[in-house]
Amino acid sequence: MKKSSFPAMMSTAVLCFLFWLVITGQLTAIFNGNVSLQSIVIGICVSLFSGWFSGRFLINNSPWFLWNPARLVKLLVYLFLIFPVELVKANLDVAKRALSIKPKLNPGIVKIPVDVQSDYGMALVADSITLTPGTVTMDIVDQDDQTYYYVHWIDVATQEPAEAGEMIKGKFERKVKGIWG
Amino acid sequence: MRIAIDVFVAISVFFAFAGTMGIIRFPDTFTRIHASGNITTLGVLGVIIGGVLYSGFYLHDGGMVVKLLIMGVFYLVTSPISSHAIMKGAYKHGVRPDKEMVCDKYGEDMVEEEEE
Repeated sequence: MKKSSFPAMMSTAVLCFLFWLVITGQLTAIFNGNVSLQSIVIGICVSLFSGWFSGRFLINNSPWFLWNPARLVKLLVYLFLIFPVELVKANLDVAKRALSIKPKLNPGIVKIPVDVQSDYGMALVADSITLTPGTVTMDIVDQDDQTYYYVHWIDVATQEPAEAGEMIKGKFERKVKGIWG
Repeated sequence: MRIAIDVFVAISVFFAFAGTMGIIRFPDTFTRIHASGNITTLGVLGVIIGGVLYSGFYLHDGGMVVKLLIMGVFYLVTSPISSHAIMKGAYKHGVRPDKEMVCDKYGEDMVEEEEE
């Protein structure tokens, strides 16, 4: 297992500390001026400890990677505009299948190629696929310098890998490539 | 604003109903997981958005808004992982649908690997 770098540890600790402030209600206490010192000190200790052992899982390249306005805006546009539209479309589709008198199902597992290289990008695309009802990522494999997903699809329209990939994750992949490459 | 909250909660109830019907009516494990995806996305998000609007505009409780938003984020991060793990685990354990699947590239590739 690789060791976590100091910046990764510190940024994870800062994130944990902010989360601690929100959860324990100290963030509003800071604005009102009645901070409990005990709670803050415990929060710092706990977040440094969790940063020390979990930093390497959360951050494995530069912690400042997303500190780039273009990337951040692209990520927010992806999360709040492009993804919800696809989510609602897929939800309506599956709801229609579930409520129709005779459920029209055509399930199967297809194999689709993915062009995203980095771990974060792959995870984001796989999560997006799984989160849209009707498609669930089952496994990720590397074969001959090309990454493939196995996707369980509720309505197999085509078994051709490239075509199926375009239908399942075409939009997601193009946007994510602009962020993580 | 009251109407907007009601609309979000109604959307969420509709999708939760559709997902439940799907879980009952779909024929096998894998398609049922898809139907549960219906509940875990719009079914939960609608309630959370409705709750955020309600606690923000009626209760004037900022802490609750932040907590609800954090709940939503964690929900969206963790629910695909659980459905992926359930589906892969079921497949590896040997669960197969009653009706044949249209195509099963995963099973074919697993058989090939075992032969090698």
